[in-house]
Amino acid sequence: MFALNNVSKSFGSLQVLKPTTVDFRTGESTVLIGPSGCGKSTLLRILVGLIDADSGTIHFDGTPITHKNIQQQRQRMGYVIQDGGLFPHLTARQNVGLLATHLGWSHDKVDARVEELAELTRLPRIALDRYPTQISGGQRQRVGIMRSLMLDPAVMLLDEPMGALDPLVRFDLQEDLRKIFRTLGKTSIMVTHDMGEAAFFGDRVMMLGEGEIVQEGRLEELIQNPANEYVARFINAQRIPLS
Amino acid sequence: MKKLLAICFAFTWIGSLCSITEAQEKPKVRVGSKSFTESVILGELLSHLAIQAGADVEHLSELGGTQVLWKALVKGDIDAYVDYTGTIQELLAKIVEPGVEVRSEADMRAAMDQLNIVMSDRIGFNNTYALGMQEATAEKLGISKISDLRDHPELKFGISDEFMERNDCWRQLPAKYRLPHKDVRTMDHNLAYRGIEHNSIQVTDLYTTDAEIEFYRLRVLEDDKGFFPTYYSVILMRKDLAERAPKVATSYLQLENAIDSKAMTGMTARVRLDRQLETNVAAAFLNEKLNLKIPYQGIGPMAEWKRFVERFTKTTLEHLFLVSISLSFAIAIAIPLGILSARNEAFGQTILGVVGVIQTLPSMAILVFMIPVFGLGAYPAIAALFFYSLLPIVRNTYGGLTQIPRAITESADVLGLGRRARLRLVELPLALPSILSGIKTAAVINVGTATIGAFIGAGGYGAPILTGIRLSSIPLILQGAVPAALLALAVQYGFTIVERRFVSPGLQTRG
Repeated sequence: MFALNNVSKSFGSLQVLKPTTVDFRTGESTVLIGPSGCGKSTLLRILVGLIDADSGTIHFDGTPITHKNIQQQRQRMGYVIQDGGLFPHLTARQNVGLLATHLGWSHDKVDARVEELAELTRLPRIALDRYPTQISGGQRQRVGIMRSLMLDPAVMLLDEPMGALDPLVRFDLQEDLRKIFRTLGKTSIMVTHDMGEAAFFGDRVMMLGEGEIVQEGRLEELIQNPANEYVARFINAQRIPLS
Repeated sequence: MKKLLAICFAFTWIGSLCSITEAQEKPKVRVGSKSFTESVILGELLSHLAIQAGADVEHLSELGGTQVLWKALVKGDIDAYVDYTGTIQELLAKIVEPGVEVRSEADMRAAMDQLNIVMSDRIGFNNTYALGMQEATAEKLGISKISDLRDHPELKFGISDEFMERNDCWRQLPAKYRLPHKDVRTMDHNLAYRGIEHNSIQVTDLYTTDAEIEFYRLRVLEDDKGFFPTYYSVILMRKDLAERAPKVATSYLQLENAIDSKAMTGMTARVRLDRQLETNVAAAFLNEKLNLKIPYQGIGPMAEWKRFVERFTKTTLEHLFLVSISLSFAIAIAIPLGILSARNEAFGQTILGVVGVIQTLPSMAILVFMIPVFGLGAYPAIAALFFYSLLPIVRNTYGGLTQIPRAITESADVLGLGRRARLRLVELPLALPSILSGIKTAAVINVGTATIGAFIGAGGYGAPILTGIRLSSIPLILQGAVPAALLALAVQYGFTIVERRFVSPGLQTRG
């Protein structure tokens, strides 16, 4: 789905992503995990073209991503950020349907798709015609997910989607999100610093540290055979309170 | 190209043909006057004479000072007005080639001939500048001539703008008389009389024919060093007036040597003190002097009421015209400027700087700059108001767009909206409350500032205010000030409704 070849990024003298070559395979759920500042969000933002890489190439579905085609390509990616990133001047329904309406979908078609997605994400119908400030944080996130799914994207990119939610809401949404991904069989890449979430979603876990991929594999592999002290410490730091 | 030339030629030809036939039917004459009573009366005299000579007359009265009238005369926006030799000398000194002397009236005629302006012989009276004080104060301090002021540095001066800025007035006067006074401020001539009356200032500049000298019991200080030049009144008119309306030009010559100081002061007193209408005072003078039969304007409550209604309707329409046109243009230009500013930081800083500087320019200065381009009347006022309206709208558009959280704009980008759609569907709706409040600010400022349009003949609520100040008539001032304030409130309220209607409920703060 995504093929990165020697992609790197620096902000000033700080290299946030060392030259990285990695593939994200179709149908697979990948979780990028690591502490703040490890480069995981930067990597995701490079994929959607919010940040230009300093070097290297990125292929999306076999096509190299360029400034010219990024807008087209983005319509095939679903991107979800913390708290949904909803447009405050539009109702939930308008948020979800904005791009489709702009692309010329009929009113009925937009409405039908929105209803379908509300069903899928278990968003109460009544919330559809409310503005973002009038619904709860969990509902906002569901709307954000609906919006990213509207055009049935080839890949879902999620940047700490649960970051702003309290634990109970978070748990509900995690359950639902996993079901959605299972149902749709989507390729997904999620950024998180939460091991539990990684365990929940990731077919494959990539641990990043100081701008590079330190270890990748199934979560059990990382737990049982940490590649180095860094990975072991990160895993233990989150396991202790649970054990 | 040839074809184009031919068309242009044809149009010019038809145009000139039209204006000739029009001129033969009834020539149009525009008369000007400055915003003090004597000048307005003289303007009325010129108007009556032109009407008697069969012309269609418009009197642009109470224009804002010599510069405005002179520029309008040279440009052809007015055909005639009365000015004073001292003023004309000062004016021409700035225009003529270096080295050319403009001392005698013959010099002035020669210099103005180049500009196609004709100067009449003296009308008669000499209305020069002088300094004046309350009779009682002057008596107490023992001041009778300007030199005596030297011993009283504590006296406060309130002088008119023009007096302050002229080389033959305040610029040289303190040096000539070695006056030590520090507290010297400029103020409207008519307000200065009020100031003298209430002793908030003690010395002011006077015109020697002012009716107020007697009314306020002022002592005219003797110009013991012969500093002030003579200010004989003369009619200035465009050369082409004699061709377009020869009868009018000839009739004006009847005023030569026709009005002495006493007659002029008498006419001013009738307006200022007896509250007669300028037009009636001027008509009475001509009827008596030249044996004419000019009808008088009605007086009494009914006629007053009718004039009030007419004035209110007229000034309201004029004011609304000024505000709506200038604001529409400002919106059409300022919002795109704000958008470009938000897109490009360097451009934005430049634009915000420029419109900021425009905002600090004095309104009168902008108006005078506009006259050579737009002439007199509504257009230069609209242009000035347009410039004043830019800043709040540009700044709020810029502010509204740049304050949108990055997560929102990124969400729009990542959705794949593209730049234009992002602006239209996301950014502008989000910036709308800010943009609207910028427009609201601009509109309210605009309603207030439009009152200055009266200085250049644009009318509006400023006209009764100006006349009211000139005649010390509170009711007249209120006839302009109250509707202007109400209009500002109405605009404010109107925009609140617009906000409710057009700003997304998702962005409105609810109580």
